[in-house]
Amino acid sequence: MSDKGIANAARAPQQAQLQLQTEPPAQTQAPALACRALSVGYGRRTVLEGVSLDLAAGSWTAIVGPNGSGKSTLLRALAGLLPLRRGMVSLQGRALGSWSRRERARRLAWLAQSSGATNLTASEVVGLGRFAHSGWLAHRKSEDDAAMRRAMLATGSLSWAARRLSTLSGGERQRVYLARVLAVEAPVLLLDEPTTHLDPPHQEDIARLLRSQARLGGVCVLSAIHDLSMALTADRLIVLGSDGLVGHGTIREALDGDWLSAAFRTRVSIVEHAGVYLWRPALEAPSL
Amino acid sequence: MSAPPASLGLGAPGVESRVSSPMLLWLAGCLAITMLLTGASLIVGTSSIGTSVGWLLAPDAQGSVILWQIRLPRTVGAWFAGALLGLAGAVAQGVFRNRLADPYLLGTASGAALGVTISLLAADTSIAGLAWMGKIGITGAACIGACAAIALTIMLSRGVLQTANLLLAGIVVAFLLSAVTSLLLLTKPEIWRAMQVFLLGSTGYLSWTSATLLGIVFCVCIVPAALLARGLDALSLGEDTAQSLGLSLPMLRLTLLGVLSLATATAVGQVGIVGFVGLVAPHLVRETVTVNHRQLLIGAPLCGGALLQAADLVSRWIIRPAELPVGAVTACVGGAYLVFLLWRRSRDE
Repeated sequence: MSDKGIANAARAPQQAQLQLQTEPPAQTQAPALACRALSVGYGRRTVLEGVSLDLAAGSWTAIVGPNGSGKSTLLRALAGLLPLRRGMVSLQGRALGSWSRRERARRLAWLAQSSGATNLTASEVVGLGRFAHSGWLAHRKSEDDAAMRRAMLATGSLSWAARRLSTLSGGERQRVYLARVLAVEAPVLLLDEPTTHLDPPHQEDIARLLRSQARLGGVCVLSAIHDLSMALTADRLIVLGSDGLVGHGTIREALDGDWLSAAFRTRVSIVEHAGVYLWRPALEAPSL
Repeated sequence: MSAPPASLGLGAPGVESRVSSPMLLWLAGCLAITMLLTGASLIVGTSSIGTSVGWLLAPDAQGSVILWQIRLPRTVGAWFAGALLGLAGAVAQGVFRNRLADPYLLGTASGAALGVTISLLAADTSIAGLAWMGKIGITGAACIGACAAIALTIMLSRGVLQTANLLLAGIVVAFLLSAVTSLLLLTKPEIWRAMQVFLLGSTGYLSWTSATLLGIVFCVCIVPAALLARGLDALSLGEDTAQSLGLSLPMLRLTLLGVLSLATATAVGQVGIVGFVGLVAPHLVRETVTVNHRQLLIGAPLCGGALLQAADLVSRWIIRPAELPVGAVTACVGGAYLVFLLWRRSRDE
C-alpha cells in the first residue's frame, strides 16, 4: 500500500464519523441553490451569459477567476441582489422571487466584499443577522442570542462583542462580518471574498470554518476566493474566465481539465504537496 | 453550526448589554441642560421686567401674560423646532449614509423661501392675495413651498431608490427655486426686508398654536424614525447587505424621507430657515457618546432642541433690548463647531 493509501485509510473513519452528524443526504431533493441560463450585466455590458449551476447542500464551492470575470456578479445574481436579464435562480427548489423577503433572508445569507464603515458594536452587527428571524420591530429572543453567540464563537470574535467596529483591525472586522452571516443560520451561504484583509493563518481558519459549515452543518457554501491555494481546499470549483463559465466540478475535474489555465489565459501550475494542492508561481526564488 | 473551538470565548463578556450606561448619563445631562435653558429662557427677554427667579415664581398680572403667552410658548416652540431639525438631520445622515447630509438637502429651504416670497407678493399686489395670505399666513406659505420643493425633487430623481440622484435633484431644485425667488424679489424690492426675517430664521413669532403644531408633528415623526432605526443600522453596512438581511429598502427610504420632509417643512414653516442645527446636532451626539441609530435618533432631537433653545436665549440676550435673528446665532455657533471638528480631525491625523 502506498503512503497515500495509508493516509486515506486513516482518514476514512474520521469521515464516517462526520457523515453521522450530517443531515440525511439530500439526493432526491432539489439542489440548495441552482440557476438556469442565467444572464446578468450592468448597463450595456453583459458579464455572464447562459450560466447553469446546481449547488448541493453540504458542500463548499469556491469561485475562482481573473479580475473582472464576474465572480461578484455571479454571487450577487444568485443572492437576488441584481436583476436578471434572462434565466432563473431557484433556492431550495423554489424560484428565488417567490420567497418572501424575510423567508429568503432566513435561507440565504450573503457577505459583501466590503461593508460600509459603521459605528456599531460587534454584537450589534452580528445581531443584524437575526432580523430575518425576529423581524425589524421585535426584540431579540433567547434563541437569537444563542445563535449570535455560536456565530461569534465560531469566528473567534466573541471577545470583541462590546467593541465598536471602528476600533477593530480590518481582519477582526471581517470576522465580525462573517459572524453576522453565520448568525443567520441559513442553509445557503454566499460569501464574496471572505478571506480578504486576513493574514494567512486566519485565512486558513476561515477556510476550515467554511468546510465545517458545509460538512457538519449541511450548509451549501459558495464563496469567491482570490487565493488559488485556498480555493483548492474547497470541495468544488466554479471557474470563470473572461468569456464566462469555464467549468464547474470537483477539484480533481478542474485540475485534470486544466480549467485554471484556460480561465487565466496563462499557464497556471498547481502542485500537490503532502495532500494539499498549491499554486506554484512560475517565478523562481532568488538564488541564495 | 460547528462546535466552538475550545480556546475561544471562555470567560468572554456577554454578547449583549442592552442599555449602555454612558447613554443614560448622556440623556440625563442633556435633559438637565434643557431644564436650565428653559428656566433661563423664561427670565430673559426684551422686556425689562421679570429678570429674576423670584419673578418667575410669583409673577404679577402683566408678567403672567408675558410669561404664559410670550416666553413659554417661544421656549417650548423653539425646543420642538430644534428637535425636529435634529431628528431630520439624523434621519438624512442615516438615509443618505453621509455625515454631511442636512435637513435642507431636498430643496426644502429654497422651496420655503419661494413660498414666502410668493405669498408676500400676493398680499402686496391684490386684495384677494391679502385675504388668501391672511388665511394661511407666512408659516403656511413656507410649509407649502417646502413640500412642493420636496415633491419636485422626488419627481426629478424619479423615485427615492437612487440616493445619488436624489441628492443631485435636491441641489438642482435648490438652485432653481432660489433663482426664481431672486427674480421675484427684483420686481418688488420692498418685500426684501420682510423676507429677511424669514430667511435668517426667527423664534420671535412662536405662539401656543405653533408650539402645539410643532409638538404634534414631532411626536408623529419620532415614532416611525425610532422604529426603523435598526433598518438604518443595517443600511450603514451597505445597501446590498441591508437587502440581503430581508429589509425592504424602498419602504425604509420612503418612510424616512416622509419623516424628513414633514419634520423639515414644519420646522421651516414655524421658525424660518434656521441653519446648522440639523447638521450639528447628530454630530454633537456622536462626538459625546458613540451610538447606534436608535440612540442617535433619540439623542439628536434632544440635542437639537437644546441647541435652538440656547441660540434663542443668546439671540435675545446678547444685544438687549434688541434681538438678533436666531438663524444668525446658529450659523455662527454651528459653523464654529464644524471648524473645530475639522481642526481636531486634521490635528489627530
